[in-house]
Amino acid sequence: MGKKFSNVSQALSRLRGWIQAGAALLTNLHLPNFLKGGLYQGAGKTVCVPGLNCYSCPAASGACPIGAFQAVVGSSKFSFSYYITGFLILLGVLLGRFICGFLCPFGWFQELLHKIPTKKLSTKKLKPLTYLKYAVLLVMVFLLPAFLVNDVGMGDPFFCKYLCPQGVLEGAIPLSLANSGIRAALGKLFTWKFSILLSVIALSVLFYRPFCKWLCPLGAFYALFNRVSLFQMKVDKNKCVSCGKCAKACKMDVDVTKTPNHTECIRCGMCVRACPTSAVSFRYGFGDGKKEPANELKTEETK
Amino acid sequence: MSHRKKAAAQVTLLLAGAAMLCFGVWRGEAATVLSKAIKLCLECVGIG
Amino acid sequence: MNAKKIITLLLAAVLVLSLAACGTKPAENGGGDGEPQTLEEARTLYDQLVAQENAIQTENTELWEKVFLSADKGMAMMEDGKNYGEFLLSTIEAAKEQFTDEEYELLKEKATEIKNIEDRLAALEEKFPSLSETPAGDGSMSVPAGSDKTTPPDDGSMQKFPAFEGKDLDGNTVKSSELFAKNAVTVVNFWFTTCNPCVGELSELDALNKELAEKGGALIGVNTFTLDGDETTISEAKDVLAKKGATYQNVYFASDGEAGKFTTNIFAYPTTYVVDRNGNIVGDPIVGAITEKKQAEALQAQIDKALSADRG
Repeated sequence: MGKKFSNVSQALSRLRGWIQAGAALLTNLHLPNFLKGGLYQGAGKTVCVPGLNCYSCPAASGACPIGAFQAVVGSSKFSFSYYITGFLILLGVLLGRFICGFLCPFGWFQELLHKIPTKKLSTKKLKPLTYLKYAVLLVMVFLLPAFLVNDVGMGDPFFCKYLCPQGVLEGAIPLSLANSGIRAALGKLFTWKFSILLSVIALSVLFYRPFCKWLCPLGAFYALFNRVSLFQMKVDKNKCVSCGKCAKACKMDVDVTKTPNHTECIRCGMCVRACPTSAVSFRYGFGDGKKEPANELKTEETK
Repeated sequence: MSHRKKAAAQVTLLLAGAAMLCFGVWRGEAATVLSKAIKLCLECVGIG
Repeated sequence: MNAKKIITLLLAAVLVLSLAACGTKPAENGGGDGEPQTLEEARTLYDQLVAQENAIQTENTELWEKVFLSADKGMAMMEDGKNYGEFLLSTIEAAKEQFTDEEYELLKEKATEIKNIEDRLAALEEKFPSLSETPAGDGSMSVPAGSDKTTPPDDGSMQKFPAFEGKDLDGNTVKSSELFAKNAVTVVNFWFTTCNPCVGELSELDALNKELAEKGGALIGVNTFTLDGDETTISEAKDVLAKKGATYQNVYFASDGEAGKFTTNIFAYPTTYVVDRNGNIVGDPIVGAITEKKQAEALQAQIDKALSADRG
């Protein structure tokens, strides 16, 4: 039983790159729009995608949860979005930060950048910065759009407008390349956000997933649900030889043997692959699987 | 957190999430999302 | 630099091909280079000549660029329909010392050829005035002699604003043909109720409308939510307009009509179009709110263009 799980976990973490590519493609299915310079305008945009993916990307097949939340909260009709919050709670419980590790296109983008061979820097000493993302979530995504409103009761999508590099990467750049009208509209805001994108790109080459660790409000939300997520990390204490290889392999600075469901764990499975005794594995199911191991049997390993 | 407690929390959260989602759709949030997502709101991607 | 060379080569190839294509036609007609009798024949010849002229200049692009560069340095640009070839000749003469003897001879020879072509073009234009209105080929390199600078460019880039028959938010019927015809310039602003920058520019648009009214123009808004006349969205739109103090006319029409489909294709908001009295769209649409200086300037430039064209 345990062996089966560790096999599935191994396979899942090995296939991660492909799953990321597939998820990025499914999230951005309408590729011809890149050439046309238009947006997909179908009903699919009612539903959010799990990862951080700008809905102003020409190819985007769904809405960005963070963008959608701000759109609802910033509209004059509502000051809170039950629709998006409910959706994110569901995803948080069902998958948690597995979404960051496997399904988020921007996470994948940062990882690809990190593959560029240079000197790599550790983020261990920058741990306090990981709390910044919760502030971004609270202030830029919720409070400012909901309460800093104009005379008609509309708030700006502060995160999208001033911080999100994904919007520039997927929205502003391809659209302005394909559409002269939009190119003419590029202004100061674009310069600012373009510099943010460049900084994130530069940092991604040096650090592993800097945006996910420090700034991403979506990652912050899912992080809060990592502890109660059905998707979990499991360490078999009987097999563990305390070699410390898992903690060394972890690029999110988590020691899986101590805190298997740490908020920073994105379920990438590097520890699974690093473990010489196959003691670390993924687990999917209710509870923590310690008292009633039978529960593990009926679980599914896919999303 | 014990096994049973955690499972209970998970079930509760799932139910709460589903309920919130339905309530949000019911009061018209989904339509707002769609109307914003199919148009390029210039400020939203950092143009202009 | 490399890309530029390749493009030049390609351009030259295309021109040579088109030249070859043109070349066979008059021969078939038996007209050859003789005097064209019909407009059609004239057009063929005209196109051929323009292509020839372009080909001459593409042959020795670098040399010509040198010529053009020196022309920019204080040479009086040609005016009032002075022959382009003559202009080239005088430019070459003035910049003589920049070229080797060989180059100089070549340029002079080519410029004379151009001069002859231009003479024939001018003669053709005199006989068939409609020719100069639709410059053949890409036309970017040749300047048709005698082209009247005051006439607005009628090179087919003029796009008609799609016709519509709709209503304003108070229920009065609005016909696009009447609306455009009675205004020297009509500014059409596309917006929707939950678009923050769109709402942000409403009061400035209202001020612009008042300013335009004095000059015989008007500004109208099209709120995309109100298409097909949905009552709730209309009242929401009116609410926002009232809050922003915007009093100009806002119209809606059927979403499946010509203008409705046109609206569906606009995806960036706000977008503003400038339409002249004939219902033609002036310039490119302005994307983004005119609260930004850049957009406001671009819009004003297009309005001025439409107004001056209307005055004739």
